[in-house]
Amino acid sequence: MEEIGKSYKRIDALEKVLGQTKFLDDLPDENFLHAAPVYSGIPFGQILSIDFSKAKSYPDFVDFISAKDISGENQVGVIIEDQPLFADKIVRFVGDVIGLIVAKSPQNARDIAKLVEIKIEELSPYFTIDESRNATEIFLHDSNLACEHQVIRGDIETGFTDADLIIEETFKTSVAEHYYLEPQGCIAFPKTDKMKLLGSLQCPFYIQKAVSRVLGIPLENVEVEQSPTGGAFGGKEDVPSELCARVAVAAQKLGKPVKMVYSRKEDVQLTSKRHPFQMRYKVGVSKSGKLLAAEILLEENAGAYATLSSVVSYRAAMQAMGPYKIPNVKVRSKSYYTNLPPNGAFRGFGSPQATFGHERIMDILAKKLGIDPVEFRMKNMLEVGDETMTGQKLTSSVGAKETLQNASERINNNIIQNNNNSHYLEGIGIASCHYGNCLGAAGWHLDGAGVNIKIRKNGKISVAFGLVEMGQGAETVVAQMTAQALGVTTEIIEILPTSTIHVPDSGPSVASRNVVMTGNAIRNAAEELLPILKKVSAEILNCDQENIEIKNCFAKNLKSERKITFSEIAGYLHLNGMKTQSNGWWHVPELDYDSETGTGDAYFTYSYATQIVKVRVDRLTGIVKVEKIWAAHDIGKAINPAGLQAQVEGGTAQGIGWALTENFKYEHGKAVTQNLSTYLIPTAQNTAKVETILVEDSEPLGPWGAKGIGEPAIIPTAAAIANAVSNATGIEFNEIPMTPENVLEKIES
Amino acid sequence: MKNSKAISVKINGKQVEKTIPTHLRLLDFIRNHLKLTGTKEVCGEGECGACSVILAGKIVNSCLIFAVETNGSEISTIEGIAKVDELSEIQQNFIEHHSVQCGFCIPGMVLAGEEIRKENPHSTRDEIKEKLAGNICRCTGYKKIVDAIENN
Repeated sequence: MEEIGKSYKRIDALEKVLGQTKFLDDLPDENFLHAAPVYSGIPFGQILSIDFSKAKSYPDFVDFISAKDISGENQVGVIIEDQPLFADKIVRFVGDVIGLIVAKSPQNARDIAKLVEIKIEELSPYFTIDESRNATEIFLHDSNLACEHQVIRGDIETGFTDADLIIEETFKTSVAEHYYLEPQGCIAFPKTDKMKLLGSLQCPFYIQKAVSRVLGIPLENVEVEQSPTGGAFGGKEDVPSELCARVAVAAQKLGKPVKMVYSRKEDVQLTSKRHPFQMRYKVGVSKSGKLLAAEILLEENAGAYATLSSVVSYRAAMQAMGPYKIPNVKVRSKSYYTNLPPNGAFRGFGSPQATFGHERIMDILAKKLGIDPVEFRMKNMLEVGDETMTGQKLTSSVGAKETLQNASERINNNIIQNNNNSHYLEGIGIASCHYGNCLGAAGWHLDGAGVNIKIRKNGKISVAFGLVEMGQGAETVVAQMTAQALGVTTEIIEILPTSTIHVPDSGPSVASRNVVMTGNAIRNAAEELLPILKKVSAEILNCDQENIEIKNCFAKNLKSERKITFSEIAGYLHLNGMKTQSNGWWHVPELDYDSETGTGDAYFTYSYATQIVKVRVDRLTGIVKVEKIWAAHDIGKAINPAGLQAQVEGGTAQGIGWALTENFKYEHGKAVTQNLSTYLIPTAQNTAKVETILVEDSEPLGPWGAKGIGEPAIIPTAAAIANAVSNATGIEFNEIPMTPENVLEKIES
Repeated sequence: MKNSKAISVKINGKQVEKTIPTHLRLLDFIRNHLKLTGTKEVCGEGECGACSVILAGKIVNSCLIFAVETNGSEISTIEGIAKVDELSEIQQNFIEHHSVQCGFCIPGMVLAGEEIRKENPHSTRDEIKEKLAGNICRCTGYKKIVDAIENN
């Protein structure tokens, strides 16, 4: 029986339904010290003085940790070195951490933190992209431009000259808060010249580097282990490096374990969000509907530090014109510093924003051309042999058209007939996208991942992998793929908690890369183990190796039908001191990419998707209800179809929230939507009926043909909803969130 | 001790007597004093349902209740739902229907599911969704959670 392609039940579900899973804050912590952040309440200014004398007199006070306590470098910038671990001269956002109060209990630490007096000379802050771009003096850093990328291909002037129709539009997308249910947290355990970190996190190897650098100790002296993680969605990509490094500084100084878990309020104010984009699209087409040229300007609000903006900006630029053939392209993608919390990774990583741009303009063009939006997309959509907007020739696994075909077939019976006087208006909206799997040319140097597979004496197999489970189902698919690769059943696979000590640096758990990276590493490890298993089985069964078949936890002599169990093989290996473990590794193949022009192979392969939504707009209240989503995803091969469906259902739900209700707001840099009564994430009543449609266009470089799904699940949703609301109302909606107030205002104007 | 009070409650069938501060939230009593960490804190303001427990036969947000108010009551937490080595039907359904992702909302969701089934074993999907609206999940989009609770 095949272990992949079946909806194996999640291996972590039993503990979770019993309430037995020990998340970080569930571990006994009586012997730890507790830290709470001391942070700036002012968005931009120079620190004049820090006075903790009042804090010191509090009975439970242990220490105040700040920049002066750092033995290594006061720097935690991931890509651009612009972020001090503890602000010591300038604060750049409300929430910029200046120090930690360490106390004997978490509540006291938080109370004492309020007693630290910080004098700041306030500078005039920048909150919007326009304010930041137009600044002429006093910048957040050397300049207010954090980073930029471009794509220049063909000749847009000629393209526009040949065009019969040119449309220019501006689009805006809003900031979004991850609102993972488990807040950020970690514990640092000091050990003479070493440091161990345990935390809720996505990227143990990022943390290892950050802590090593800040403490001034060798990389191998830092061990990072992930605790069961209650959601992340990108929010625990770079941020845990800051938390861990700060707590590690305290633990190093005090020689005792130190724990810090953010309160919800701290988590919302201090940590990263989705970048708001403003986008200018100018696209030219022929009368027959052929895309000829696009000039695109993407501007991103980076917040106070660059963190991951550079790679968000890269991804948005590479995918700015979507899964379409277009010969002439000029894209500029620019991230600007502002005095807001740093914006960073959030599921999709710039793609949902860029997709909002290209799918809105595709609909507007179709309407102006008088061509059906499905037909218009189909005419231009990529297939094998075509070149992407960056000039990358696609040689395999391009299921884009099939996603559009399969999703659009579902709406044929959903003819919309709106009566001008009716209370409700119905509409249908389409959005398609492509998503470059893994880190792409900009992160190629980090794009390898490993596994360690051990056959145990008791006949079980344990697997350590370098990426993490954060709720998406990673452990279950890793177990299934290991079972498939070794001819055993998924039941006998045990997955170890991810730690930096088991496998080499496997890069970050991001970019929908777990199945592809870990799956290929598993196959690589299995290649080494399988011949040994066959050889041993042949010895025990006294036959030729060629006659051995290993399947379902049995080795069989195909000639005699004699069988032995996998447990017997495992026992034999151990008894005879033979090889019982193997390390597997896979690195993304080299990409032929020109960073000057932004052309060539931006990513090694792409997932494709089309989502079609049906909405109902209440003309009197402006409330938009998403009734149905048909979500067609080309993922190469579904390793676990039910788990994949679960990703699509959850991703589209987040897309609905971002499109309609999640209206994150700051006042003078301070988050005013700090809780669930003001920041409205979807409840069970606000999500839609979702039909997941699988397209399995096998990717030769993917394990068993598979590609990533985690992010594609959310990418087209908001764009499809905006297209549907525009379709329903006859008014173009070019900005999200489409809150009832915003919708009503547009309908009434 | 000033501002403290002795209380006696029955938690998951076990009688417990403790002297606790009067301002202690039921959530902290359960998590920190009784070490029953299946009950989670997410919003701390009664908006998310992660800290749900069954108090005197009704589902409540334990972050909104002082522990001393529960004196003399019976309380069930997620740890008290499964019988020895036997999951409740709802727990089993959550596993079967792939309703679990990160798991942080799940204890509250299971308790809500138990409550919905108890009130009306044949609630429609729309009724289930309405009753689940006080339980927030950021991972699943709720469909598979509703699948697990539905019994039609």
